[in-house]
Amino acid sequence: MSTGKNDAHNIAPETVLEFLRHTMPFNELDDDHLRELARHCIIDFIPKGTLIFRQGETEVEHFYLIQKGGVKIYLEDDQGEVTLKDFRGEGEYFGALPIIQNTRANLNVETVEDTFCFLFTKSAFRQLLDTSPRVSQYFLRSLSEKMINTAYAELRHHRVTPRTESALFLFSTQVGSAVKGEPKTIPADASVRRAAALMAELKIGSLLVTDPAGEIIGIVTDKDLRTKVVAAGLDYQTPVEKIMASPVITIPGHAVCFDAMLRMMRQRIHHLAIEKQGKIVGMITTHDIMLLQGTSPLYLFREIVAQRTLEGLHPLARKVPSVVRTLIEEGAKANNITKMITVLNDHILERLLTLLIEELGPPPLPFCWLLMGSEGRSEQTFKTDQDNALIYAWPQDEKKAAEAEEYFKALGERAIENLVLCGYPLCPGEMMASNPKWRMSAPAWQQCFDGWIMTPEPKEVMHSTIFFDLRPGYGDFGLADKLRHHLARTIPKQELFLYHLAQNAMEARPPLSFFRNLIVEKDGEHRNALDLKTKGLVPFVDFARLFALKHGIGESNTLVRLQLLREGGHISAEMYQETIKAYEFLMQLRLVHQLHMMENGQEPNNHINPANLSDLEKQTLKESFEVVRRLQSHIKAEFRLGER
Amino acid sequence: MFKKMLSRFGLIPPAHPLFADNWHYFRRLDQNRPLSDYEFVVFDTELTGLNRRQDEIVSIGAVKVRHLQIMVGETFHVYVKPSRPLPKNSTLIHRITPQQIDQAPRLAEVLPDFISFCGQALLVGHYVGLDVAFLNRACRRHYGAPVSNPCLDTMRLAQTYTEMQWQQYHDRFRMDVAYNLAALGREYGLPDFTLHDAYEDALQTAYLFVFLIKQMRSKGIVTLRDIFSAGQAWRNLF
Repeated sequence: MSTGKNDAHNIAPETVLEFLRHTMPFNELDDDHLRELARHCIIDFIPKGTLIFRQGETEVEHFYLIQKGGVKIYLEDDQGEVTLKDFRGEGEYFGALPIIQNTRANLNVETVEDTFCFLFTKSAFRQLLDTSPRVSQYFLRSLSEKMINTAYAELRHHRVTPRTESALFLFSTQVGSAVKGEPKTIPADASVRRAAALMAELKIGSLLVTDPAGEIIGIVTDKDLRTKVVAAGLDYQTPVEKIMASPVITIPGHAVCFDAMLRMMRQRIHHLAIEKQGKIVGMITTHDIMLLQGTSPLYLFREIVAQRTLEGLHPLARKVPSVVRTLIEEGAKANNITKMITVLNDHILERLLTLLIEELGPPPLPFCWLLMGSEGRSEQTFKTDQDNALIYAWPQDEKKAAEAEEYFKALGERAIENLVLCGYPLCPGEMMASNPKWRMSAPAWQQCFDGWIMTPEPKEVMHSTIFFDLRPGYGDFGLADKLRHHLARTIPKQELFLYHLAQNAMEARPPLSFFRNLIVEKDGEHRNALDLKTKGLVPFVDFARLFALKHGIGESNTLVRLQLLREGGHISAEMYQETIKAYEFLMQLRLVHQLHMMENGQEPNNHINPANLSDLEKQTLKESFEVVRRLQSHIKAEFRLGER
Repeated sequence: MFKKMLSRFGLIPPAHPLFADNWHYFRRLDQNRPLSDYEFVVFDTELTGLNRRQDEIVSIGAVKVRHLQIMVGETFHVYVKPSRPLPKNSTLIHRITPQQIDQAPRLAEVLPDFISFCGQALLVGHYVGLDVAFLNRACRRHYGAPVSNPCLDTMRLAQTYTEMQWQQYHDRFRMDVAYNLAALGREYGLPDFTLHDAYEDALQTAYLFVFLIKQMRSKGIVTLRDIFSAGQAWRNLF
């Protein structure tokens, strides 16, 4: 602060400086630049309902930065029809483009509230662009790589609590919830050889030792077998009670996992018996705690593959989020994360169906478990509804058909039941293998698809879109692949079907933008939450599906579809780039949002409150919606919608 | 002697050329032009106290308004060393410390700069009578004449604006309406100001002024004369 010195004509108001310091891209400028800029600032008040720019007429003399209030930006065609383009609020600007391009106003700008703006003259703004490459880059860029990456970094930074707090899992999870089943026991007089054989068979590292009355009197672990038997040269017929540790160290079921870990570390043991109402109900091991910490997806993967019972499988799916958080912290992109979730879920499904088939006996006919929707596209997040179906080979005779029907009914129903127990919610539309409608022989499936494709009804198209994202999940993949090939061959010729599909892809209208932390819908309405899925992600999925089907591409993953469309020259390189960037950003935003919710003990959803987003996130999100609009106008042009 | 008296009250042209030009200019001021044609200087002073005879100016902040837009680049901000030590209780109000003004010039030295900064603009202030009283006392002492620039009071403008909005007679005397700068800013939804010195206060007053003038424009207040007749929000200091 200057003290007493009268630099009368050389001061810049703090109010203006403070505002610029917190507004993109001016926050990139150093203090001297900012002061220089602030001195060229003109403050204007524009009452509500004032037309500031008239398209094609107004000579733009100033760049406008909104300090308070807001404007709407719209186009008016020859017939006087108005298309709303955007709302801009505090910290946002208008007038940059006409100054950069040296043209008249390209759009109408009208205040929707009493608005205060900082104005910079054309020459001051041009000088700013000339002297500050970072600022000019900001104004000139479209969806540049740099911006996206900065937005990603910010996402990781602000929305995921730092790694040190991942230990919080240990503080919130009770040991009781880690119980995987009845404790495994062995009589005290059984031999150590028998104990070793039993552990190997059950693939576990410890057994509880019971006396003739069935009371638990001790524990024997694989470490005991190594150190007290093998290394000590003890007879393998020695009864386990000679080598067991006694009494068993227990921990109450309501204690949190952190306490269990502490106790294990203090006593240098790897196993604790979990006690509920004086009864030992299970074991917790260091390995379980490591899993809870979620340090590596590999542990979870190994555990899934090692499961021998359906009950053992049920809790594993719930561990997926803790594994995924590590990946997000390490900067993995959403695409890799959803792939990881898909791989883990696929393994759970595989184990589950394998165990069921062991239970039900071999299937009478080859079959394939079909995955659809987000599972089919390998784009699962934390909570995805089940979307599945079942296809089986053509039964030669009535008897075989009846047999197949009975078997696959049991398999379908039991599988869905168990998937629910794993935490995968039921599909509200009952598009699941438990529904007889979606359990068919290969020819019946082909007929069903042909019905949708050849004689499409708009409503049916809408309901069947997720079927076109199908992917084999388990069993005879050939059955599914054959169906996919059939679709890839047939659909490109079915114009009416594609037309309906295109129309369907236009259904999800992206919101216009953010305006004072509110979402502005196309009709100018304000809402306070954004459905990231329906408004943001679905249009990309629809676009990729539509063009993949049109060009006979059999892939189901959105990013792979886009890549193949690019390689086939069906979309421009520019469109490809901006599309995948925007889509990945939206996926990332959703993942982080859902993870955040789960860590706060909430059910994950797709609703984002823009007030919780940073400026950069909002900006990037806004640009992603811009991409959606471009995709939809591409669809409109390609399929001549609106001309029929 | 008599001439000097008349001059002190602004009734005849002052002897000092700086003041004489303005005196002649404002005599002929055309009040029928639209408000956006005039230039305004919105200003605020910090004082050692509120006694018009004894207390003094310690800081002046001002900003120009042209085309009814605030020209942030055309500003004036000075600290002034008063003739007597700064009273402690005044520091509590304006947070100007004795050290801050120790090296500052005397009012007599900065007054010509301020008078020429104001030039032929109309003066605007919040409860402007107080600021102008202090300003004129200094001008009379050093130049034998007060400033000739007409003044507009944003507080009176705000009262007029509020009264224009109330249709019912009894509402016109609502007592719960606060007319201090911060309260008005909140009521009209103007941007927040956190810092308070003569300059930031002048800027905040300028926001209020531009807001009021533009809002009143839509209610038929177009020319300078309209403002004067609308609510006597006007103090003629000739």
